[in-house]
Amino acid sequence: MATDKQYWKSLQERDGDEVFLREMQQEFPEPSQEGTGGWSRRGFLRAAGFTLAGAALTGCNRAPIEKAIPLLVQPEFLTPGRAVYYASTCAGCAAGCGILVKNRDGRPIKLEGNPQHPLSHGGLCAVGQASVLGLYDSLRLRQPLIDGKKATWADVDTALIAQWKELQKSDRSVCILSSTVTSPTRRSVIDRFLRRFQNARQVIYDPLSSSAILDAHERTHGVRALPRYRFEQAEVIVALDADFLGTWISPVEFSTGYAAHRNLETEAPHLSYHVQVESRLSVTGSKADQRYTLPPSQMGPVLTQLAVRIAKAAGTVTSWQAAAESPIASRELDEIANRLWESRGRSLVICGEQDVTAQVLCNYINHLLGNYANTLDLANPSLQRQGSDQALQVLLQDLRDGKVGALLIDGVDPVSELPEGEQLAGWLQRVPVKVSFQDHLDETARLAQYVCPTPHYLESWSDSEPASGIVSITQPAIAPLGDRRPMMESLASWSGEAASAYDLIRENWRSNFFPRQKAPSSFDIFWDQSVHDGYAVIEPQSPQPKEFDLAAVHPAEGPAAGNSGSLELVLYPKVGMLAGAHAGNPWLQELPDPISKVTWDNYACLSPATAARLGVADGDVVLLKATSGAGSAQEMELPAFVQPGQHDQVVAVALGYGRSETERFANIGPRWMEGQPTLGENGRVGKNAAPFLELRDGALRYAGRSITATKTGRQHALASTQSYNSLSVPTQGAFPGWEPRPIVQETTWAALQQNPKAGSDGVSPAREDLWPQDHPSPVHHWAMVIDLGACTGCSACVIGCQAENNIPVVGKDEVRRKRAMHWMRIDRYYSEKASAVEVAHQPMLCQQCQHAPCETVCPVLATVHSEEGLNQQIYNRCIGTRYCANNCPYKVRRFNWFDYPRQDPFANLVLNPDVTVRSRGIMEKCTFCVQRIQDGKAEALRRGESVNDGDVQTACQQSCPTQAIVFGDRNDPNSRVSQLANSGRYYRVLEEINVRPSVGYLRLVRNRPAGTEENNRG
Amino acid sequence: MASTEIGWQTPLIQGSKRLSQVTQDVCEPLERKASAWWWIGFLISLSVLMVGLAAIGYQILTGIGTWGLNTTVGWAFDITNFVFWIGIGHAGTLISAILFLLRQRWRTSVNRSAEAMTLIAVMCAGLFPLIHMGRPWLAYWVFPYPNFRGPLWINFRSPLAWDAFAISTYFIISLLFWYLGLVPDLATLRDRSEPGLRRSLFSFFSLGWNGSYRTWQRYETVYILLAGLATPLVVSVHTIVSMDFATSVVPGWHSTIFPPYFVAGAIFSGMAMVLLLMIVVRKTMHLEDYITHRHVDVMARIILATSGMVGLAYLTELFSALYSGNPYEQFAFLNRALGPFAWGYWIMVSCNVVIPQLFWFRGVRSHLGVVSLICVLVNVGMWFERFVIIVTSLHRDYLPSSWASYSPTSIELATLAGSFGLFFTLFFVFCRFLPVIAMGEVKGVLSYGTNQEESHHES
Repeated sequence: MATDKQYWKSLQERDGDEVFLREMQQEFPEPSQEGTGGWSRRGFLRAAGFTLAGAALTGCNRAPIEKAIPLLVQPEFLTPGRAVYYASTCAGCAAGCGILVKNRDGRPIKLEGNPQHPLSHGGLCAVGQASVLGLYDSLRLRQPLIDGKKATWADVDTALIAQWKELQKSDRSVCILSSTVTSPTRRSVIDRFLRRFQNARQVIYDPLSSSAILDAHERTHGVRALPRYRFEQAEVIVALDADFLGTWISPVEFSTGYAAHRNLETEAPHLSYHVQVESRLSVTGSKADQRYTLPPSQMGPVLTQLAVRIAKAAGTVTSWQAAAESPIASRELDEIANRLWESRGRSLVICGEQDVTAQVLCNYINHLLGNYANTLDLANPSLQRQGSDQALQVLLQDLRDGKVGALLIDGVDPVSELPEGEQLAGWLQRVPVKVSFQDHLDETARLAQYVCPTPHYLESWSDSEPASGIVSITQPAIAPLGDRRPMMESLASWSGEAASAYDLIRENWRSNFFPRQKAPSSFDIFWDQSVHDGYAVIEPQSPQPKEFDLAAVHPAEGPAAGNSGSLELVLYPKVGMLAGAHAGNPWLQELPDPISKVTWDNYACLSPATAARLGVADGDVVLLKATSGAGSAQEMELPAFVQPGQHDQVVAVALGYGRSETERFANIGPRWMEGQPTLGENGRVGKNAAPFLELRDGALRYAGRSITATKTGRQHALASTQSYNSLSVPTQGAFPGWEPRPIVQETTWAALQQNPKAGSDGVSPAREDLWPQDHPSPVHHWAMVIDLGACTGCSACVIGCQAENNIPVVGKDEVRRKRAMHWMRIDRYYSEKASAVEVAHQPMLCQQCQHAPCETVCPVLATVHSEEGLNQQIYNRCIGTRYCANNCPYKVRRFNWFDYPRQDPFANLVLNPDVTVRSRGIMEKCTFCVQRIQDGKAEALRRGESVNDGDVQTACQQSCPTQAIVFGDRNDPNSRVSQLANSGRYYRVLEEINVRPSVGYLRLVRNRPAGTEENNRG
Repeated sequence: MASTEIGWQTPLIQGSKRLSQVTQDVCEPLERKASAWWWIGFLISLSVLMVGLAAIGYQILTGIGTWGLNTTVGWAFDITNFVFWIGIGHAGTLISAILFLLRQRWRTSVNRSAEAMTLIAVMCAGLFPLIHMGRPWLAYWVFPYPNFRGPLWINFRSPLAWDAFAISTYFIISLLFWYLGLVPDLATLRDRSEPGLRRSLFSFFSLGWNGSYRTWQRYETVYILLAGLATPLVVSVHTIVSMDFATSVVPGWHSTIFPPYFVAGAIFSGMAMVLLLMIVVRKTMHLEDYITHRHVDVMARIILATSGMVGLAYLTELFSALYSGNPYEQFAFLNRALGPFAWGYWIMVSCNVVIPQLFWFRGVRSHLGVVSLICVLVNVGMWFERFVIIVTSLHRDYLPSSWASYSPTSIELATLAGSFGLFFTLFFVFCRFLPVIAMGEVKGVLSYGTNQEESHHES
């Protein structure tokens, strides 16, 4: 083929036209129109494409990232995904329990009791557990306010230092009004601050005051101090209106001590004898071996009669034989006095009345019994209550007279906590300088010109001395979440000695505490050791009590003659709410009261007979009208609640409700067509009963006002988690004698000594099976034993579980519809015996059955058995048929009826990253804290050991003050749980249906003579 | 009319119909414009259905919390309605399959509607297991299908999984059976209609039916085979539904009597529903000659018989609970009769056991108004039976601490109403577009062509 043959496309190409050839080289040889002016097609397309892409890209852009790498420098010890625990001190109340703060990825997510702490021994109450949520409260003030406007600390300091200079020149008084200050460093800073003024003082009051006890000791022993009660040494306990296991002074410490002396599962079992005399049914009363109900006005006469008997036994002659007649039968009082006398030195009589005469009598009895220095330690007193109601009364008088030049308020909300709150708000207007240290705008802080918010205790340094000689550290577990300043820093800078709280505390410990301890030789070692342990034990420094002054003792007067027969008002704290400082905490609001099981409300408790007399039932609104006393409130409307076990003459109302902080719950819970609001008509949760208090004769009085109650005819629904209160079925539902169900089994101490299986319902466990075991557990078989004798119903476990397992708060309406989500509930059953009401508490959680009825019925295998004996719920497989819940004999499964709102992203920081947050439409339940089991196993693997008994603790077990819950491996015969399962008291609920639960219970035992165990429950 | 003297000799079809007359009578209502009454009934049903759909939509968007259920009572209206509708369906299968095998020739007038009712009732029933789920969009997980989740299988031990099979099988067999019976009639309709969409549709669904001897012969063979297949379903479906309860540990549910008891109850309520519908249909569609007093009489007798069975089951249940010595079981039954939901129990007993006894009286059986009323009451009673079983057993089970109450929300009431709306809407559509009487079968039982023709010529 000829190769020189040329092909051409056009004449120009053949002729080699240069312009043409150049154009031919280009991609698109047609003549370009660029540069001819106007838009070219390609230009247009290019621009359009860019615009489109640009627009699309803008849409893809994420919100600006403010802090790209919060941990640019990785902190030491912080491994993402591993928890770090910091020892600290709880500031939920003044009791000062030792805690371990569980930190995950730089944020505290759970509080646990510090097992080494000398006061709390590893227990932590519901309030303490819930206080972690307060850290993530988005409504806390983040910066100081001047006259309600946001300000800087420099502004506040400038303004206030000028004010202090003014006041230093004048003789108008400067007063710090606070609750009990357990922090020794803060006390010394306060002292230094006040010393700079001519006329300055600190007034301490406790919203739940024990000032009468301190005043009584001033009279009898010459020292104004609160003795440290040593329940662990008390063999006979007589408590009058003192709810020491629930709300009185230091419940965790007392519960721990109480349980230590009621342990039946040791080599030498022992059981103290506990008599409770009270006007309403308290948690403590529910545990009593012998319980009497009396109106508060009768407590004095009982103490007098008891004192007479003890004095007689001690050989002291008293001249008050004619004192008021005791309402308790003489024979029974003799018996109590005998018991006390026989155990002298190992007995304890306590009284919760705010009445100095009664408290002096109580001291006298303890003195005669030789209990001082044994069960009451006055030489090393408790510092958990320091309030003086006398001083408060003087201050209020000064405020009324306009004598106060400056008032600094810390940790209290007198406008909502004191009887004359409304008048007080008016008097406060006359105080020229008002400073509040509250971190939220409560009713008092709203009136202050200067609000200097203090940080949460989990984000700041502090210290505490809850009992003389026991000092503990509060250390920050997170970088401060706002621009707040500890009170001691504020005071120090106003005193011209600006220093950080850390430096102040360290300095105080170096100069005051280090010399009083023996072990470490250098302060740094002492400090590091204390921060590590969370506490230190040092030489106590307290004034020595004087000899008992018999002249101070007088018999208590009986009730005024005209008073008998009328109703008496008793204002009491609830276990979760106390005086209301944590009213903004939704966990505590939704915590069922251990006795009434009501959430989200306070109410007027009436005995069944009184309720019948008034013709009211639960939820009927009654009008309470005070007919005596000097409190500011004369009347209030409250829903009635029929409370068995309460004295017929008593109306009991819980304090701590109706607080302004609760206005935030307006939108809590799911919202839907028939949903009801959580808040009452007043826009708050419950009503504030504090105006019914009386500040009289130097004591804040909670009980004793005469009152009338009348039915109004209106209704206010109460949200209770339990609607049937007895173990006996209604009589028409069973053949006579078959009513009681052996769900809670109980016996007496005497019967138990005869027969270790006393109280059994006779159903024997461990029947042989025809089939091979369905789910063998070759390595571990996790199991739990709950001692019903030790459980006080305090509900610490309920909140512990809620914090650990991300359990949502559902709001009042959902609770009312019986849809509370708590995985752990405490069933409370009443029984009646010779008209005395008794209570049994039974923690109820998933029983982790080995023949689980829930597992067989799930169509999609969303609930299955693990090879460690756990009954597992697979959330993402669940389609929500609820068949498992129907088939659960224990009704412990919880269904997500709605998507429970978690709208507050800040509060979501408390969520445990190890536990899935469940979505709508699926079932959930107790997992035996499987994440903790996995953690314990991983840790054991890392150590190269097998899992030891006690390595894995469930959240409920960890916080239990009485160690009623024991968890462990049934495959290990030496584990505590296996040992307890061999106890004669061990039984499993509903043994006869053979679902083989892994949770067992130890029978409730009361210290009673044999033959009294037949309990006609119903 | 010889309405008060019904005997075995009474002709099944009255009026000495000729074959063409039957065709004309049955097809004519489908070929003329719908009456105002039809429109009124249809629109009312449709509105109620829409209310129900709105309620279901709201519930699926918001959550099961919009129902009155709680931690203790996990099922109430949902499963009550489910069991109720499944029960309604049973009479259709009984009539079409069992009575066919037993050569009960009277069934021919009612079997088509009864079968249609079965299908519609199963649809209504199937709705509830679907919407009662917390996450209904994952409902397909109850079927074992190849998947990449492991593969993850279903739990064959769960009665709910059995339910899924039982109900889907039941629906498919019922549909096939009903459709097969329709084929000759569809061909008739095809032949009668003008060319157009209607005719093409009938033509398509009549599967080329040509009425030849061979076609009929094969049809009869398949029909009897399907009847044989459907017969065990009458027993099995409700047995399996009853096992939802019987295999559980809940006192009041855990009972071996449940399968026969449920089957009897299902036929009882279903027969009452068929009878009610037939009385309405014969009146409104002028089919008095086809659905005669004899049919009403026979069905009333079946209701009476099944009422007796149900009553026996109630007594047996009560007796075995009391005799068992099991206090939980005893309590469950005493609580039904005397507890907070006692009113439900006594509605159930009076509607299901006491009132049907009136059917012993011929005068009652022949009075259509009274019969209709009793049928309504039987269905009320049977709905309450399921409610009593489910709610009163659950609300007070083992641990008294968990005892709770239950009351329905507006959403549940609307959903229940909506299921009736669905039922009647579909039934109205059926009556409007398909022959309510199996022409082919009815022609087989005519006295036409026999020597009795003249003697029964009466008006």
